[in-house]
Amino acid sequence: MIKVEHIVKQFKDLKAVNDVSLEIKKGEIVCLIGPSGSGKSTVLRCINGLEKPEQGHVYLNGQLLDESQKEQYTQLRSQMGFVFQHFNLFPHMTVLKNLTLAQIQVKQRSEEEAIKIACEYLERVGLLDKKDEYPSKLSGGQKQRVAIARSLCMNPQIMLFDEPTSALDPEVVIEVLEVMQELAKEGMTMVVVTHEMGFARTVADRVIFLEDGQIVEENTSEEFFSHPKTKRAQDFLNKVMH
Amino acid sequence: MFAAFDKVFTPENILYLAKGAVISLIIAALSLLLGIVLGIIGASAKRSKFFVIRMLGNIYVEVIRGTPMLLQILLLFSVVPSIYTAFTGEVLRINIYLIGVIAMSINSGAYSTELIRSGINGVDKGQWEACETLGLTHWQTMKLVVLPQAFKRIIPPMISEFITLIKDSSLISCIGAGELLKASQVIGAEYYDVMSPYCLAAIFYLIMTISISYLGRYVERKLAESD
Repeated sequence: MIKVEHIVKQFKDLKAVNDVSLEIKKGEIVCLIGPSGSGKSTVLRCINGLEKPEQGHVYLNGQLLDESQKEQYTQLRSQMGFVFQHFNLFPHMTVLKNLTLAQIQVKQRSEEEAIKIACEYLERVGLLDKKDEYPSKLSGGQKQRVAIARSLCMNPQIMLFDEPTSALDPEVVIEVLEVMQELAKEGMTMVVVTHEMGFARTVADRVIFLEDGQIVEENTSEEFFSHPKTKRAQDFLNKVMH
Repeated sequence: MFAAFDKVFTPENILYLAKGAVISLIIAALSLLLGIVLGIIGASAKRSKFFVIRMLGNIYVEVIRGTPMLLQILLLFSVVPSIYTAFTGEVLRINIYLIGVIAMSINSGAYSTELIRSGINGVDKGQWEACETLGLTHWQTMKLVVLPQAFKRIIPPMISEFITLIKDSSLISCIGAGELLKASQVIGAEYYDVMSPYCLAAIFYLIMTISISYLGRYVERKLAESD
């Protein structure tokens, strides 16, 4: 479904992503893990075009993401939902407006239809009762669930999560992970950059371990967590698993 | 010092000053509004992809902020008619209030440009990214997400700009516009006592600036509530 070929992304002197290739199949759940600064978030951002790689290509369903082909580019990107570490909800709009804005403006849905769809997804993340609140009145976990619902309203084929629980208080991490787990069960294709090893272990089909902008190890999550092959992955797991 | 205070302090004179104050207020308000329009244009220019347009935006802001407003008013007052005469051979009589408002708008526009630009830049980059991932275009993002948030930040400094403009409107008295300061000078000349009308004019200025300043604080509190 997604194919990344030899992407390189440089920030000034730092090669954040250095020749990364990977493939993600339909329905697969892949976690990108690694120490901070390993380039995992940058890989994710390159997949949907938030960062433009200097070299390499990204394909979605066999079609190249090419910025010069504006229409196709926008169309391809719209099939990928993106969830940010810091939610990026629109603070000047109610929860419901946050969910209907892009549906009306981009998908050209009627307001009625957009509201109906928004309410369905809010119900699924358990926040229908908050639809008229402003984001500032919500807890971090609730904000992230709204952000997930906002993405889902656009009917993406694939969801990209960039450290969705890193900015949350520990006690609310679980409510976001549960929503993600639910999505996974429904067969959504997901790429998740995370520090939640428990989630990676139980939910992910595959784990990709990065360090210094390169893929160090790639394996099924079960294999990766029980028998990491590389020394660097072993060291990393020793540090993060207690 | 206040040689003729009791003579100056008559209802007619107070009314005369009040009219001057209203003119000052109208000139300041018009300049603020036209200045905001110029500010939006200036801020767009400074954010343009094209170097030349960015450069023009920079020149506008730097030239206007780097020279005194009094000089700008005098220049516009004398330059425009002489250019007109040079081209047509006829004498141009322009309304001095119009000259005043145009000069002050151009001046205020340079400050508004910076206020609006920094307001837009102050909106979190994540808001642009979220819109990008949802498929909104640049202009949809600007109009629906960024500007509403930017204006919220811009309103308090815009109120200070309004206060500055009310005070600076006194500068157009030098080209003969009958605003508040001019009104006090006229009264001063009549009674051979400038002290009393100047002090009364100061009180009028203070009434305007302090009430707008309070209004500003009220608006600021209201805006903070919805954060």
